[in-house]
Amino acid sequence: MDIFTLAIWVGTLVFLGVSFARDKVKTKQALKMAFGMGKGMVANILSIIFAIGLILTILPPTEIASFVGNRSVLLATIAAALFGTVTLVPAFIAFPLVGTLVNAGVSVVPAVAFLTTLTMVGAVTIPLEKKEFGLKFTVIRNSLSFLFAIVIALVMGVMI
Amino acid sequence: MTILKKIKENLFLLIVVLGYVIMFLARPAMGIESVKNSGYYIKEMLMIMPAIFVLTALLDMWVPKEKIMHYLGKDAKAKGVFLSFVVGSISAGPIYAAFPMCVMLHKKGASIRNIVIILSSWAVIKVPMLINEAKFLGPKFMVIRWGLTITAIVIFSWISAKIIKDEDLPGEALAQPGPHVNRDACMGCTLCVKNYPALFEMQGKKAAIKTQEQIILNMEILQNTIEACPVHAIEYHEE
Repeated sequence: MDIFTLAIWVGTLVFLGVSFARDKVKTKQALKMAFGMGKGMVANILSIIFAIGLILTILPPTEIASFVGNRSVLLATIAAALFGTVTLVPAFIAFPLVGTLVNAGVSVVPAVAFLTTLTMVGAVTIPLEKKEFGLKFTVIRNSLSFLFAIVIALVMGVMI
Repeated sequence: MTILKKIKENLFLLIVVLGYVIMFLARPAMGIESVKNSGYYIKEMLMIMPAIFVLTALLDMWVPKEKIMHYLGKDAKAKGVFLSFVVGSISAGPIYAAFPMCVMLHKKGASIRNIVIILSSWAVIKVPMLINEAKFLGPKFMVIRWGLTITAIVIFSWISAKIIKDEDLPGEALAQPGPHVNRDACMGCTLCVKNYPALFEMQGKKAAIKTQEQIILNMEILQNTIEACPVHAIEYHEE
């Protein structure tokens, strides 16, 4: 558990304690509300998680890396951004992977495109995002994030 | 009709299940590996989501709407943008962990722009992630990418807010005067029926306003019930 996760837990528990001391009824209601929220989202979250598991098996990150490493920069960038879109890889796997790529001489542009879309754009989270925020919000946020991921990558290519 | 609707609502879940069935039939070994791969993400979810849900509910209960509006609303300007970045980057967990929090904030008056900033920075600008990035790709790489990402988020959150209106998000549609249950949002937790049995009832698996009898509304109970609804499906419009 990283320090931020821990901090959120500690903060939440302290908040809960203070809340309970000040108003038991309200706190109970909040807990019920939290439980309800969890219940409403759990099916969607599990779908996301198992979809990621499936995608990682079909498209292992190492294979993505070798695929991206062997193409022209432009093609590699678009491919990397697309791969990043369909997968959600934890940072502790993504960074060493991209690090090896860059050290092996692959251009930073596809590497950065991959890193950014990995976390910011999520094909698997779209159904849940759509349910919570509506179609228009989801489509616009994800397409803008995708576009800007490529822009960031290209600018990085010029600067480094 | 209802079955069709159920399928439509859970289409993604069905596709995933189908994917696993096919995988297990065609390549059992890869099917097992997929389940194993999912294991890490389940742990990641369990580690953060309970805290996020409780925290969101507590903030919802205790922080008044005016405060959220003041700090994260449309008129918060640069202060709102800055605060949204702070909220997003001190967060933990995957991007979907930001969803319940952002829905709650938007309901309480946070602007679309700030919601987009929180979601995006929640995804990319985490401090533990930055340390990792500096370790594997060098501090220069990390600093430049970090700067560019923040700039990009500032720009595209502004564009998003130009295109997306508050009404585009679910649960904003105006209805006739009086209390109203948004049945698309309701997930049947029965909390409102328990809180205010005189007004609410369950019709099938969703809550509804009792129509048979006209009662004099107790605004205090109604307000509490509205605030308690986990999905904010209850609204009250004045005449």
